[in-house]
This record gives sequence, structure tokens and C-alpha cells, in this order.
Amino acid sequence: MAYFQARRDFLKLATKSATATVLIPGSLGALGEVALRGEDKFVRSICEMCSSRCPMEARVINGKTVLLQGNAFAKEMGTSLCAKGVAGSSQLYDSQRLVSPLIRVGKRGENRWREASFEEALNLVSTKLSALKERYGARSVIFSSKTGEHYDLLRSFASAFGSPNVFSHWSSCPIAIESAFHHTFGEKLHRDFENATYILNFGHNLFEGLDISLTKAMAHFCANPSKKLVVLDPRFSIIAAKADEWHSIKPGSDLAFVLALLHVWIRDGKFDHTFVEQYTIGFDALVDAVKETTPQWQQTRTGIDASVVERIAAELYAATPRCIIDWGHKATTTQAEFQRSRAILIANILMGNVEKEGGIYLTKSAKRVNALAKESIVPELNDPFPRLQINEPRIDGAGEEGAYCFVSKQHGVLTAIPEAILSQKPYEIKGWFLTRHNPLITVADPQKMKEAMEQLEFIVVNDIYLSDTAMMADVILPECTYLERDEGISTLTCKVPTYAMRNKIVAPLHENKSAIEIIRALAERMGYGSHYAWKNSSELRAFQAKGNAELLQTLLLRGVASFDVPFFCARESSLVERFCERYPKSRAWVDAQGCFGHLLTHLKTPSGKIEIYCDAVEKIFKGYGVPRSVDMDVSQGLPYVLTSGKSAVHTNGHTQNVPYLSRLLSSNPIWMHPSTAKAHGLKMGDTFYLQNAIAKEKATVFITEGIRPDTLFAYMGFGRDAPSLARTHGKGTNVSKFLSLASAPICGAMITNVGVNIIKA
Amino acid sequence: MGKQYRLIYDENLCIGCQACSVACRVENSVPDEVYRLQVHLHTKGEFPNLGMNFERLSCVMCENPPCVSVCPTNASFQSKDGLVHIDERACIACKYCILACPYHARFINPLKNVVEKCNFCYETRVSKELLPACVSICPTDALSFGDMRHKHSLVHQKSHKEVLVFPKAHLGTKPKVAFIPNRKGMKS
Repeated sequence: MAYFQARRDFLKLATKSATATVLIPGSLGALGEVALRGEDKFVRSICEMCSSRCPMEARVINGKTVLLQGNAFAKEMGTSLCAKGVAGSSQLYDSQRLVSPLIRVGKRGENRWREASFEEALNLVSTKLSALKERYGARSVIFSSKTGEHYDLLRSFASAFGSPNVFSHWSSCPIAIESAFHHTFGEKLHRDFENATYILNFGHNLFEGLDISLTKAMAHFCANPSKKLVVLDPRFSIIAAKADEWHSIKPGSDLAFVLALLHVWIRDGKFDHTFVEQYTIGFDALVDAVKETTPQWQQTRTGIDASVVERIAAELYAATPRCIIDWGHKATTTQAEFQRSRAILIANILMGNVEKEGGIYLTKSAKRVNALAKESIVPELNDPFPRLQINEPRIDGAGEEGAYCFVSKQHGVLTAIPEAILSQKPYEIKGWFLTRHNPLITVADPQKMKEAMEQLEFIVVNDIYLSDTAMMADVILPECTYLERDEGISTLTCKVPTYAMRNKIVAPLHENKSAIEIIRALAERMGYGSHYAWKNSSELRAFQAKGNAELLQTLLLRGVASFDVPFFCARESSLVERFCERYPKSRAWVDAQGCFGHLLTHLKTPSGKIEIYCDAVEKIFKGYGVPRSVDMDVSQGLPYVLTSGKSAVHTNGHTQNVPYLSRLLSSNPIWMHPSTAKAHGLKMGDTFYLQNAIAKEKATVFITEGIRPDTLFAYMGFGRDAPSLARTHGKGTNVSKFLSLASAPICGAMITNVGVNIIKA
Repeated sequence: MGKQYRLIYDENLCIGCQACSVACRVENSVPDEVYRLQVHLHTKGEFPNLGMNFERLSCVMCENPPCVSVCPTNASFQSKDGLVHIDERACIACKYCILACPYHARFINPLKNVVEKCNFCYETRVSKELLPACVSICPTDALSFGDMRHKHSLVHQKSHKEVLVFPKAHLGTKPKVAFIPNRKGMKS
């Protein structure tokens, strides 16, 4: 095909651009040009092969990246990087990457295109979007993006355009845990795996969904014989294999297990009474809610023996406060996902591990640290992505009166999009701007989503591959990969304030542009230029850093910047003392127990305290104010539950076509227990159909002892319909096709466990 | 006296993520469909009593290398540091060494038609005092590499702290690669 460059041409291009590659962005006023010299050049940046954004380092010889590895300036990284991260160069030089803007010439979705210049493509996008705004109003255009700087950019652009309809990928991923944190702590907390001694894990599979610093900490935890890891997962995952105990819990029943734990602790009075009294509200409501959720009660729901709950409850209590009940990223999601996530957080709270070493802790952001120290010890950043207030209702009703009143307007409910488009309620939707977002693979019921997309007048997609979603576009804008672009400063803060920056490693191949360039160019064309305080990535960085040249230089050369701030837990008096010694003015905050207790009584919750009971939620969703036994069914009366998850070598719908990764895992045969396979007369590798009310799809079988007989499992992101993804096209099964558009109450999370039948082919 | 390299693979820390395998491919331009290094995972037992074993497959750098003694052209040779290398110019692709290697570590590079295997990234990294790519990249610190003559080296310390297993030690090949066995794996 014309728009695929031969691999040889790519390499030629890459070599030609060699001289430009090592000149890290030139015009940062105070700095001048920073050039890395020498035979091997090292450029430090941020990975983008998944959303973990690990700091990494590239070794460049003759303008061609050689090896990507972890950035040792980030000390929890060392030189470590995962298979996906290392394969970044294989994506960069992939001959199947998009290298030219494409304009649709056939029917929508027909995959017929003509090449266009960026000039023509951007002009067309700006004209079409402006016309839609003129004719139907700005709200008629949806904007959706993956998280990260793309999302910040697009959200800001959407506000300048005037549309309230901004969506992140959250509702198809972490929205339940984010929502649970919001309602419990008013902010998200982190886990101190390094110092914990006992971890109860609900399918948080850090060994197949990698985030280097967390994965590394967890690996050392597992390998340490003096520590204990208990994993609950229907599947014998890698982390289950590394655990001291694995319990193959029934899919969707995590909530029952946690409620039983809470029951036992409260029944026996074995929890941190002082902590609960001092820092939380609503404990009495919890006592009432878990009266009946005994270990015996959970046994029929989870398939785990009552005695196991009793024992684990006792072991966790004995390990307090250095124990963590690990919430995971997105695990066995059900209708009960909000309650499940809240129950897990409350289990941590009862163990009194909040702001304790080996427990869970608040983000030690620049703002928080500066306020405590009563001096500016860490530079704070400007927000380069202004957002105007849009006083229009959203199509999904997020943040407005109704079912999604507690869903953030900033993230929305993706599964509500098809119905809104097809019914034209609450109003007409005519356009969709997607940047690095592939809902036809990652969101439920892509059949319906596609039907809805067919109704639109104009779709523009920014991606690096001609993905399934890009196939539906009118215009495709090919972005350069993360190795070819500069971005602004991003915050990596957990234990201590840390910034990182994506630095260009090689010049863009062909004429690909970054999202910054694309969005900024569109803004200029559409008359929103004055919305931004910057014109390009260099100015963006300088604005963000408030002209702090030292910070920028550190980020250019080292890729990360931290500020030698000692880590503290607000409830560890020795660590508080260490912080006070360094920053004496912070003594003013220290309470009678030698702690920064005020941090936990001035949270952004309505009461300022940790809320075990949420009055606001209870008022609108009766029975949801505290965790209770609700909505745990995931089989819908069908005999099997289809579950899905990540592998260590792929990310969601992003990497399946990357050459080195495709080679490691090129399809997703369905995991099935031998007894189940036998009952259906299936042998290893046989083809069969999965079927439920929404879909009937072909699949192949992978027979393994490592899964419950009533459960099936698939690695996500396969079953691609896009022929341009030649390595992965037609391989495996797209499990999103079985998922319903119904989302979980309160949080709006997509539900990724679903009942299916096995039908012999 | 030459260096005494050792590479230690801790099965307890390995998660089978294949980062090492990809890093090896990138660093050494290993062609499609062949591998200098792979980690295999094996699930053993019957549900729900299961264990998973992790196995690293690569050249183990024998002190007594059968591949060197069978080579008719001296293309396979041992350096003064005891590392086994292949001189591509002398290799006639007769495959004797492939058959002789008890670790199945050698293969024909289909692009060059010569025999190839792991060389501890000697030329590109180890000779420049860098760690082999697989060791450097490992997300979980499962690999350590160094010179056993140095008492402070990680490999020296681990060798004294842990029980090491040398693969197929009974063959008398004396590998430089050692394993720390998985405490949570499954025999059988």
C-alpha cells in the first residue's frame, strides 16, 4: 500500500536525520542549545508503550536508537525496563506505521484513503470542526483521549472549542478505584510495598501489567521468605504463582470476601480503634452493614472456605500497620465495582495502615511539601493547558443530576456514547475527535459503537497505527511516536516530589507531528491561538517551569528531577522528626503524638476526615453510603464467566502489531480448564464459539490447569479487524464484543466480566 | 589471571516478562524467529494445587565447552577470560557445535548463515564495563553479573549467601551461569 514506507526507506530516513536528533529542543531561552556529544549519545525521556510512564534512557548511535533501558537517575527504576519498553524502537521503525495524513475516499469504515499533506489535512479538520460548531453547536463534537499529556491537550482544546463532551479512558479502566478514593479520602493514595510485611492482593497483577517501580518492589517482596503475599484471582496468574497462597476466587465476588474480613475484625474488635476514632467518620454505619457478612456467608459466594477468611483476618491484624489490602488497577469488575473498591479501602483503614510505613500514603506533592515546610523547597508548575468553564449539559450526564452525578465531568462515561449518538438524546452529536484512543477495541460493545460512529458527519483520529477506530475516520493524523517528540513536564510524584519530561530521541520520521503540534496548529487555524500561553513545546516547557532554567536543564539532561526531600509518613513520628530537622518551620504542624495528623483531618472530603460512610452517596443511591453486599453477579445465568487481563508483552489495544511484541504473543486463545474442555469435546487449539446475548465470536482454546472450571480468560487487545495491522489482523478474539454497555452504579465503570456460553464449532 | 565472570539467575525474582529476550534481540540484532535468550514458564500440578517454574534458556558459558572441542575450524573458541565466542569468519555452519551443546543454546543465524549464541554482550557492553543487556534491563533484578574475583561484587556475595545450581553440572561442563532455584515452584 502506498502509505506504507518500505522498511529500508525508514532506516534511511532515520540515518539522514541523525544530525538533528541529538539537538534537544533548541530555543529554551535561558539554556541555548544543549547538545549531547560523544560516540554513544544518551537521551533520557519517558516511555509510552503503556500508561505507566516509566522514566527511560535511550542509547543513540548514528542517530538510530539502539537500546532503550530504564533511567537510573530515577532510583526506583535503575536501568530496568519491560519488554514493551525495550520494543519501543521496533515500533519506531515499524514499516506498518502511519507516516502520512490520510483522507477517506471510500465509504466510512471501508478503509480506502488518499494521502494528503499535513497542511491539507489540518485545514480540512479545522474547516469541518468549525462548520459543525456553526451548524449544530460546539457541543455536537465529542473529544476523547488516552490519559497523559494527550488528554490534557485535548481537554483544553475542547474547552476552547466550547464542547463539554470530553472523555478520558478512565471509565473503561480505573474509574471505580479513583471514585472510591475520591469519596473516601478526597484524593488517591499509594502503596508502600517496600516496607510492608503482608499483602492481600485482589488480582492486581503487577507481573503482567507492569509498572517498573511497583513491579520491582513487588518482586522483591515475593522473593523475601519473611514476607507473605496472598493472591485472590480466578486464574493462576504470574503473581498468583509468586504468592505464598493463591485462592481461585469466583469471578466478581471479591466484595463478599472483603465484607467477611470487615465482619471478622469488627466482631472480634480487632482493628485500629484509635485510628478509626481519630481520623474517620461513619464507622457505626459500617458495623451495621457487615453484621450478616460472615465468613460462612461469603463461602458460597467466593468458593473460599470460611476458615481461610478467619485465618487471613487474624494474620493481617497481626501484621498491622505494615499490611496492605491491595486494590489493583482494574480487577474483577462487576456492577459492584464501586462497593468493592470502597470495601478494600476501608479494610486498609481498619488496619490503621494509613500514613504508616509499609501501609498506604498520601501523595507527597510539591504543594503539600512546600506547605508543610512553610517554604518553597520544590518548584511548583504552571498549568499550560487552560480550561474554560462550559455551561452545557454533557451527553452522558456525567457530573449532572441523574445516574452519573458522581462521575467526573472531566472523564465521562464512554459506554454512554453509542446510545447518545443513536438516540440523538439529549441532543445531536455530529463529530468525534479521538487522539490515541481506540474504543472499538477497548470499550464494551464495539458493534454498537461502530453503528453509532457510522451516524457521524466527521471523525478525526490521531494515532500512530491505522487502528480499528482509525478505520472509521474521515481524516487520520499520524502522530510521531514518543521517541520522536518533546512534551511538557509531567509529575511522577508518589513518595517525594518528582518531575519527568519526555525528550525527543530521534527526529520524526517522514513528516509525522506530535499531538502538541497538531492541536496547536488546529487552534491557530480555528482562531483559538490566544487560548494558549505558548506556541510550541519549548515555550510550553518554559511556561510550565515558570522560567526555571535549572529545572529545565535537569529535565533535559537527566529526564527526571527530584529534590532531595526526605520521605515521611504523617503518622511515623521518627520520619516526621527527620522532615522537621531539615525544614524547622514545619514543626508548627506537629501534633501531640509527634505526627502531621492534620493532613488526615483536612482532606478534601465533605467532613475533612476519612469517610467510611458517604452521606452524599447514600442520599442519592440508597444503600451505597457504606460497602454492602450488592450486585455481584457476573454470569447473567450463563454457565461460564469470561474474564480478561493484560500480558507482560502487550498494552490494552496499543501494541499487538509492534513487530517484536507481536512475535512474543500474536493471539489470545481462551484459557479453559481441562474438565471444561472435556465437557465440550474440545482439544488444545480447537476452534469454538463464545456466545452471549450481545455477540457470537470464534475463538481457539488454550487448555490449562491454571483457571477455575467455571471461568474463561483472554488476554485483551486481540481480534483486530483492521487489515493495516497486518501482523495481528484477524488473530484471536476481541473480548470487548461480549461486554454490555451497562456500567457500574455511581462510578460509571465498564464491566469486564461477562457470562458466556461455549458452543462447539 | 583472566576474569572470572559469573551470571546468576534468581528464579524467585524472575516473572517471565521477556524484557531480557527483547533487549537481547535489540542489542544484538538477533533475526526474527531465532533467540539467543528466552525464559520459559511451565505451570505444573493440578488445579488448584499449582506451581510455576521459570527456566532461562541461553548459553551458559562452559569452562569445558563441548562446542569448542568439536569445532573443525576453531571458529568456536574460548577467550582468556574463559568466555566462549564464535569467529564468524571461520564458521562454516557445519552445525557440529549445535549438536554438541547440551544446553541447546546455539542456532544458525539465517541472515548470515553462521552459528550464533549469547556472548554475554561482550563486544558491545561487557568489554566497556557495562552489564550485559539482559542483566541491565531486567525489571525485577533477577539477573546479576560480575567478576567472582571481586569480593564486593554482587555475584560474589550472592554466591556465598544462596544455594546455587549449575545447569547439567553432572556433564562436567562447569557453566558460568548459575541458578537460584525457585522456592515457590513445583517439582514433578
